[in-house]
Amino acid sequence: MTSTAPAPADTNQHYDLNPDIFGLFLDPLRKYSSGLYATPETTLAESQVAKLHYVADRLQVSDGARLLDVGCGWGSLVLFMASEYHAQVVGVSPAGRQHDYITGRVAELGLGGRVKILTGHFEDVDIAQVPKGGFDGVSMLGSIVHMPDLDHAMRRARGLLRRGGRFYVSESCFRNAATRAAFDTGPGLEFVRQAIFGWGDMRPLSDLVRAAEDAGFSVVSVDDLTDDYRRTIDDWHANVLARADAIDAIQPGMAATLAHYLEIANAGWGYTTKHYALTCKKAR
Amino acid sequence: MTTSQNHAATTVTVADITATLTRIVAAELGVPEASISADSNLRTMEGADSVKVLRTVAKIEREYDIELEDADVFEASTVADIARVVHQALETS
Repeated sequence: MTSTAPAPADTNQHYDLNPDIFGLFLDPLRKYSSGLYATPETTLAESQVAKLHYVADRLQVSDGARLLDVGCGWGSLVLFMASEYHAQVVGVSPAGRQHDYITGRVAELGLGGRVKILTGHFEDVDIAQVPKGGFDGVSMLGSIVHMPDLDHAMRRARGLLRRGGRFYVSESCFRNAATRAAFDTGPGLEFVRQAIFGWGDMRPLSDLVRAAEDAGFSVVSVDDLTDDYRRTIDDWHANVLARADAIDAIQPGMAATLAHYLEIANAGWGYTTKHYALTCKKAR
Repeated sequence: MTTSQNHAATTVTVADITATLTRIVAAELGVPEASISADSNLRTMEGADSVKVLRTVAKIEREYDIELEDADVFEASTVADIARVVHQALETS
């Protein structure tokens, strides 16, 4: 595996917390985004594996595909695509600790050579090893919310794709422009910004679609994943409560902060917020 | 129309709804039911916030199998306000 030096980019502090905290409430893959629940009995771990296969399907990932995952977190998608689909994957994250964690997992899983992690912001990170002709797929799971310049991010994603390549974005969105205007400065969201994420801009789906169109993408599909994210967060919340002592032992007070964040997030689904998956194609 | 089994719409009174709502609000805020009255303001009373109001609305919608209008969800403030819009929703559903 090759990599850039994991210099701490000025990301929000949340993702640079001790990775062990996330190991205590996320699934074994440490995927920090919505799962996909096929049945009432589906577990969190099953939902996240199902979601990764779903993303692969939306991106039409074939054996050996060349992928770019923007906002790769603890590497769940990067490692999954490399191991399950023999993909060549580049992951980007501003959080240095995530870089270190993924590097360790790549070695454990014997995926060296197929995974490359870059530390920095997608908007300006140097992606030195773009495959000839471009990537087959670019994914952003819950990361475009942290990018201030939506149009630039979409244009850059399209520019990195081959002709016919696909772009998958799943994001939490205000339900519409009016809801955004009314709630963007509400106390719930202010807590989430100040205590958890730092900068973030939840746009309505219409903004994402407009930016995709303006960047030159064709829109393939939009899926509503709101109910799946509600269940995902219910599962995370239950884990936070069950393992609060262990979480607080790593960082005192963190369990209550996380629980409050997750309660706010789940209260809003359907009323103020939605979670959508948008799939686009670089094609006429 | 669809209503949950517990609540045949024709027989649900504002008083019934107020009692249900009081139970939900008390559980949400962690306070005794006796401390809540019809004019308790869910947006300003001790321990309340917009998130708890939304959770209360979500529970009352599930309880009666209704969907309130956005304007009602985001503008109703007192227990009596919410009981009234729930009653309206049941009558018109």
